[in-house]
Amino acid sequence: MIKRSQLMLAAVLGAFVSTTLAADSYVLGLTGDLTGRDAANSGAVADGIRIYFERVNRTGGINGHKVEVLVRDNQSEPSRAATDAQTFVNNEDLLLMITASLSSTYAPTISESKRKGVPVLFAGGVCPREVFPPKPDPLLFCTSGYAAETDVKFAVDYIQSVQKNATLGLISMAIPISRGSIDQAAEYAKSKGMKVIGHESAPPPTANYTPYATKLKEGGADWVLSWAPWVTQVKTFEALRQLGWKGNFISYGHNVAEEELKRIKDPGFLVFTTNGMFSDGQPVHKDVLATAEGKTKFPITYLNEGWVAAMTLEAALKKAGWPVNRAKLASAMDGLSVDLRGLRGGPITWTKTNHYREQLYYRVYGWDAAGNRIKTLKDWTSREVK
Amino acid sequence: MQTVANIAVLVAIYALIGSGYVLIYRVSRVLNLAQGELMMLVAYLLFSLATLFGGHPASALAGAVLLSLLVGLVLYVVLMRRMTGELVIAAVLVTIALGILLRGLMVLVWTGQMARPLEKLGWQNSPLALGHGVALSSVAVTTIFVAIAIYVGLFVFFRYTAWGVRMRAVGENPLLAAQRGIKLHVAYAMAWALATFSGGCAGMLLALDSGLDGTMAIIGLKAFPVVLVGGLDSLRGAIVGALIVASAEVLAIQLIDPLVSDVVPFVVLIAMLAVRPWGLFGTEEDIQRV
Amino acid sequence: MAYASGYFKTDYAMELRLIETRWQKVSAAVLVLALGVFPLISPQVAIGIANQVFIAIVGAAALMLLTGYAGQISLGHAGLLAAGALTTGVLFKELGATFWVTLPASAVVGGLLGLVFGLPSLRLKGLYLAITTLALHFVVAFVGGEYETRRGFSTGILISPPAIGGFALQEQQHWYYVLLAIAVAAMLFCINLLRTRTGRALMAIRDHDIVAESLGIPVRRYKLLIFVVSSTMTSVAGCLLAYYRGFVSIEAFSLYLTIDYVAMVIIGGLGSMLGAVLGALFVITFPYVIEGLLRVLPIPAGIANEMFAINYAAFGLVMILFLVFEPLGLVGIWRRVRNYFLLWPYRQTAVGGGGG
Repeated sequence: MIKRSQLMLAAVLGAFVSTTLAADSYVLGLTGDLTGRDAANSGAVADGIRIYFERVNRTGGINGHKVEVLVRDNQSEPSRAATDAQTFVNNEDLLLMITASLSSTYAPTISESKRKGVPVLFAGGVCPREVFPPKPDPLLFCTSGYAAETDVKFAVDYIQSVQKNATLGLISMAIPISRGSIDQAAEYAKSKGMKVIGHESAPPPTANYTPYATKLKEGGADWVLSWAPWVTQVKTFEALRQLGWKGNFISYGHNVAEEELKRIKDPGFLVFTTNGMFSDGQPVHKDVLATAEGKTKFPITYLNEGWVAAMTLEAALKKAGWPVNRAKLASAMDGLSVDLRGLRGGPITWTKTNHYREQLYYRVYGWDAAGNRIKTLKDWTSREVK
Repeated sequence: MQTVANIAVLVAIYALIGSGYVLIYRVSRVLNLAQGELMMLVAYLLFSLATLFGGHPASALAGAVLLSLLVGLVLYVVLMRRMTGELVIAAVLVTIALGILLRGLMVLVWTGQMARPLEKLGWQNSPLALGHGVALSSVAVTTIFVAIAIYVGLFVFFRYTAWGVRMRAVGENPLLAAQRGIKLHVAYAMAWALATFSGGCAGMLLALDSGLDGTMAIIGLKAFPVVLVGGLDSLRGAIVGALIVASAEVLAIQLIDPLVSDVVPFVVLIAMLAVRPWGLFGTEEDIQRV
Repeated sequence: MAYASGYFKTDYAMELRLIETRWQKVSAAVLVLALGVFPLISPQVAIGIANQVFIAIVGAAALMLLTGYAGQISLGHAGLLAAGALTTGVLFKELGATFWVTLPASAVVGGLLGLVFGLPSLRLKGLYLAITTLALHFVVAFVGGEYETRRGFSTGILISPPAIGGFALQEQQHWYYVLLAIAVAAMLFCINLLRTRTGRALMAIRDHDIVAESLGIPVRRYKLLIFVVSSTMTSVAGCLLAYYRGFVSIEAFSLYLTIDYVAMVIIGGLGSMLGAVLGALFVITFPYVIEGLLRVLPIPAGIANEMFAINYAAFGLVMILFLVFEPLGLVGIWRRVRNYFLLWPYRQTAVGGGGG
């Protein structure tokens, strides 16, 4: 009895899925954290991609074909991501999956992608180990700005270039990826002869960051480095200032960083990032502002990562041509080079041995109290990705 | 010294959230697992009111407090009243479902972005130096005073006012209470309103101190061990439970390893469940045992 | 309808039959046929959903035994699923163990954990038991999290598809038949267990444990037994889930998963195996149905993000509506409809007529 109703239901459902897809367009599937704990970050990536392709479609599409992005919400939960990925890979028309959520969703996505040979682009979240040289997974690509190990090393070098004998405090979020990178930062800083006063790690929901801040302050840190989701970084900093701490705090600049710098207005709060800020005023920034005006609930400065991913995808689809299939797209992505026109310090270049990029370009931004504006403390500095 | 101050702040936060659990459980024997979502909702309401009455922080705060009482009342009248007489676990499940519903609605209305009601109220969270090298944010100091005020208020209410005594009577034996002419539904509704208010205060203060996003609901759940340790039906227990859990947490951060702090509350909880499942101050007869 | 309109049993053998009337035989045959043909004519997506339903049926049946029949409330279900999946993941990753090793190993681990989860039930009932099992959930989650972090599997463990006699289970269709068989086997096991002395003892304990004890039922032994049986089944479901999904990640077994399963048995209808099936079907397909509904309604792309929040809120709302207005769950609705047709044109409660 029951199973028959299930059959009907599934048939109806199948009908939905098959009728809504137009096979004469490029179909991409995005699984992102739209309503979960990373919604401010991942949701903005999804919005950036959506708005970008809406414009592409208005102006004639790519190679004469429109781009359709199917969006699903995974709330950064692995089981939801698994369902999303399964739905996507089983859709015969779908060419590529985009993942914009926390790293907890990567295993299911990768697992499903391998089953059906669907390329995956990681956009906005941290890049998985599988995309890095020397031997990247042929199906996995990443455009995200940050890269754990290289990032923290750059930050440590920057601190040392500003203050030779800094006492360094470290804070991470108690999630594996953040803990791991900060552990590496500790080792690297020690090898550079810095004094490191331990590594604090706050669980994702923390009611009060003051105990962590107390420990950092009492340890005598004059610089604190954080590489974690934005809440941990900024709340630790604010708790430190509440305690009357006078040092400098440097943390990774996620896409919320620009608005946050303008809010905090503290010259001792610095961010290092691979994404240029809209205060740079490049033509591409003006273009994003004009295109996205009124189309997103996020501040437009959040759309950086999404825009980078969409520009890269557009280039990949253009190169893959029409007709196209999954394998053809994946091979087009191997050996792609995309000029990001100032959104980043340099291009995204993928090769057979590197699905990340060969050079990373970092900038350090801070607050100019006198001029009441964001200022660049260190201009694009390139780092080789090993 | 700073450590003591940190513990005091965390005790105040946990005790406020915990009082919400205790109030409802004590009067109606329902465990409200939507407590975290309710405190988040009240905090968001404050944010919206602060946006509306930008220039009048006092009216925004008063409005939020009134709304918190109203939300609790409405929830009882519309929803929880229907669960009277159902299985306890069914009522608990309703609160879980309510939590899911509220979280979805809150994302819908306020998105998942960080909201900062303090800025909307036009206030500064300036640090206060308390001597001996101890400093706390002004909101943190306020939290401690609010927690004390609310607890004193609740004790007075339950001890000296007619409705307080009635609510205690309902909690002890609803049947007898009803036969004495106490209106059960009024007592339950008041418990829900008060619990939403005191939990909501915790939510508002947390939001004022460090902003508000989707993770606040989980903080509500983190305070759950507090009331179990203290005893689900004892306000005094909630304070002691908060003291134990908060001290264990802060000391773990300070002295052992910050990573341990996340599991400490649950370790304390398991130890307590093994030894005294009804908690330090809970009513022993009350527990269902074989 | 397929049911007898009265109580026509004349001997014990008739009581033991699972299929009572000719009509039931016909509909069972149709059901088998429909289930068999389903993956041949349906799109991949639908088969994928069906596969998830089958795994959920195993887990929900286990919880139904424990909560619906023995009256023991557990909020540790996700922890037990995690234990099964994690056992599979660890054995696969550390020792390269095959399906034939990991499945029984998961069952054993589940059984042992069941013993541990069950111990508090000897002292506690109701809410406090639920909280204790909840605490144990956090212990499993903590152990799993530490293992993954320490071994460097922070984004989860990938597992290769299981090979059965050199044949790798990879396609949804193949999974479908395997999982269908397992789900049917689990159902038959539960239904038959409940028809034995054990089953009747469990129900007696649920209805009134003190009376059960005074009737000579060894309450403690049966409580532990049902915890072990239920946990073993749950752990096996966890192992299947790990293989079917192709990965193990402790974060996939959050408290929300427990809520999903508890919702299955509640929405399905406590105290009925049919309820477990209906509940699993409902909870798994619900998001897809809402999504489908939202897709046919004209919704501008700009509020795509909001669509998911709606989906999330709708699940909470439906759960509330069921708990408030239909405490007997889907099975309650089903029985009402059935009885209406069974007794038409009369309006009265059915006597006998076979339970769900």
